[in-house]
Amino acid sequence: MEWKLFADLAEVAGDRHVVVPVDGEDEGTATVGDALDALLEDRPALRDRVLDDDGELREHINVLREGTNVFNEDGLETAVDAGDELALFPPVSGG
Amino acid sequence: MQTLGLVGPDAAALAERLVPRLDGRVATVEPLPDRGEDASRPAAPGLAPGSAAAGAFGVGPDGSWVGAGEDRSLADTLDTLAPEYDYALLVGFPEADVPAVVVGGDEGDDSPTGEVLGRVPDAGGADLGDLTERLDATEPHVTLESLVRRVKASPRAERAGAIATFTGRVRAKDDDGDPRTTALAFETYEGVADDRMETIRTELTDRAGVEEVLLHHRTGVVPDGEDIVFVVVLAGHRGEAFRAVEDGINRLKDEVPIFKKETTVEDEFWVHDRDG
Repeated sequence: MEWKLFADLAEVAGDRHVVVPVDGEDEGTATVGDALDALLEDRPALRDRVLDDDGELREHINVLREGTNVFNEDGLETAVDAGDELALFPPVSGG
Repeated sequence: MQTLGLVGPDAAALAERLVPRLDGRVATVEPLPDRGEDASRPAAPGLAPGSAAAGAFGVGPDGSWVGAGEDRSLADTLDTLAPEYDYALLVGFPEADVPAVVVGGDEGDDSPTGEVLGRVPDAGGADLGDLTERLDATEPHVTLESLVRRVKASPRAERAGAIATFTGRVRAKDDDGDPRTTALAFETYEGVADDRMETIRTELTDRAGVEEVLLHHRTGVVPDGEDIVFVVVLAGHRGEAFRAVEDGINRLKDEVPIFKKETTVEDEFWVHDRDG
């Protein structure tokens, strides 16, 4: 599964694109949460940046699947396919 | 307007081959010789010696024209050309920060400042189709005036009595004690950012009385004082125009995945980190 990272998240992780194996990605049973766990395992430096002390995703962190905010879908329970593009970023700051 | 620098001994010959292949109005720009400090010189080639005028133009009945003048940089020139031309070819300006192609031999000291789209041994050996494709994929040179010109050309313009615009620019200081901001660097989630801007554009255009909406945001490094973002609205009346401009820039700042890193004389930081 491929993650795209932006702004300081890419700097913390050391890459803009990170490909991680996710359990169940080929069987159609993987969720966005599974993919996030796999990402944080692969890039442990990101963990404190995106999760709070209780291990919950910080409120200002955005997670997109195929361009759509997953919190407009089923949150971290949203199903992902192997070919889906996932993105993780801080608050937007254009303009 | 797409801008291409052509650099190297065979640059002019490649420009000549390329112009008819480009789809749209093309302007070419060439460097004038440095005129030094000769006091007897006219203010610019084409101006009469001793003339106090800063510019001189000739206009023919068929629309032909010539112009000459002083006090215009290459950057000023590109801004002036952007509303009127689809392409600008800069022949022999290696220092210009624009996408460039190197034509002929070793460029030596003429290595271009901007992104190099290609290097070809001579003008005849260039793959013009490929070069055109690369040029069309580069970020266009967009000015407020070029967007205003575009909405005025809309088939819906005859129903519109108002154009309202917003320009966001790099602010050097928030107050007197601030370390000066020298540049902002913008990172864009390509594809998704365009989709979100298109959604905003479509939803604003669907409003009653709003005829056209254009949004443009630059990417890459934008130095202090330069423009970053434009919203242009063509509408029946000023009320709809003002509201759509304000909602357009507010939604762009809230919804479009673009990220800003600020460089000041003291520091460098992601703007969302400071706001949070």
